[in-house]
Amino acid sequence: MITKMHSISIVEISKRTGVSEETLSNYIERNWISPTIENGHERKFDEEDLARIQLILDLTRDFGVNDESIPIILHLVDQIHFLRNRFRDHLA
Amino acid sequence: MNPYETLGVKPSASQEEIKNAYRSLAKKLHPDLNPGNKSSEKKFKEVNAAYEMIGAAEARAKFDQGETEAQEEARSRHQESRKGPFYHETQGGPGGATGRYSQSFEGMDDDLFSSIFGNQRNPRKADELYQMSVDFKDSILGAEKEITLPNGKRLKVKIPAGIESGTRLRFAGQAQDQSKAAHDLYIEIQVNPSPIFTRDGNHIEIEVPISAVESILGGEIKVPTLEGAVLLKVPPLVSSGQKLRASGLGVRGKGDQLVRLKIVNPDPKTTTLDDVTRNSLKEWNARHPFDPRTEANFK
Repeated sequence: MITKMHSISIVEISKRTGVSEETLSNYIERNWISPTIENGHERKFDEEDLARIQLILDLTRDFGVNDESIPIILHLVDQIHFLRNRFRDHLA
Repeated sequence: MNPYETLGVKPSASQEEIKNAYRSLAKKLHPDLNPGNKSSEKKFKEVNAAYEMIGAAEARAKFDQGETEAQEEARSRHQESRKGPFYHETQGGPGGATGRYSQSFEGMDDDLFSSIFGNQRNPRKADELYQMSVDFKDSILGAEKEITLPNGKRLKVKIPAGIESGTRLRFAGQAQDQSKAAHDLYIEIQVNPSPIFTRDGNHIEIEVPISAVESILGGEIKVPTLEGAVLLKVPPLVSSGQKLRASGLGVRGKGDQLVRLKIVNPDPKTTTLDDVTRNSLKEWNARHPFDPRTEANFK
């Protein structure tokens, strides 16, 4: 079980992933990641966002996936996790 | 660890061959493609560490010369870049909260699951998620609203200027489950569309009709904005589709309002063109011959 870690700033996320703030903003604009907004304007990330960014990096850097395919893959991955959780709940 | 053996390449392999071998193994072993498979995850980490050691020519040269420090460097580089969970580990597990991203499918499974399980759905332990509708104006200019939660608690929601549909605002520890444990509460914003304004990034756009005479002579027109009507100067000889800019009247502090002009003529059923006007227009046209289709390269 992963403990959620909230409120990581964009500066810290950039440092931890090696992705520039500009590229992270681009991910947000494309709806690949959705950080929460705190205090009216601060974009805050959590472990889930961090893992998602790492997955995007693996897909683009290591798997050779192009930008057009990223949202499709993320959508399918999320759908699979949703269905896995649903099945788990129903079987519980 | 021998990185060549881990990646399944010969020590004489080219950098390209090493990269291809790494990619091929990573695609096969990636933990998000094999959720829950600890053996795959272990191998994936080994493959990653091996690639850190010989994936770049400089690091490889150090390894080939037997520099043990370089190996340590590569290992710590790998550990640093791989801090934190894999994505599938954040997407829920037995007794755990569901991931925010996969939760966006909530409600889309009714047909599928009612046909399989006959509507026997168990509640899940998760952070609470509510939806809130916001007027277009408030989404552009920002606002502060107070809402009442199902448990009767009142919550002040600060809506930042420029918020878009789908954005989730988090309120840490504001939700409680049956055991009174604190959870986060999320409010997902849905922006109601405006009948006259549309949004393009930080700018908002509106189509404003003008008469043919205004399009030729120019003049001042009254244009609605989200902050009240403003007078805008239309230069002479404008065309339909041309945009004028009202600076600073888009997303507060970030964007402008763009005014797209549309030339509209009077209704022919109720308006007649008298001979004096007709002849005057013909004379003017003769003095200033202009064919817009030539300009558009139609000929």
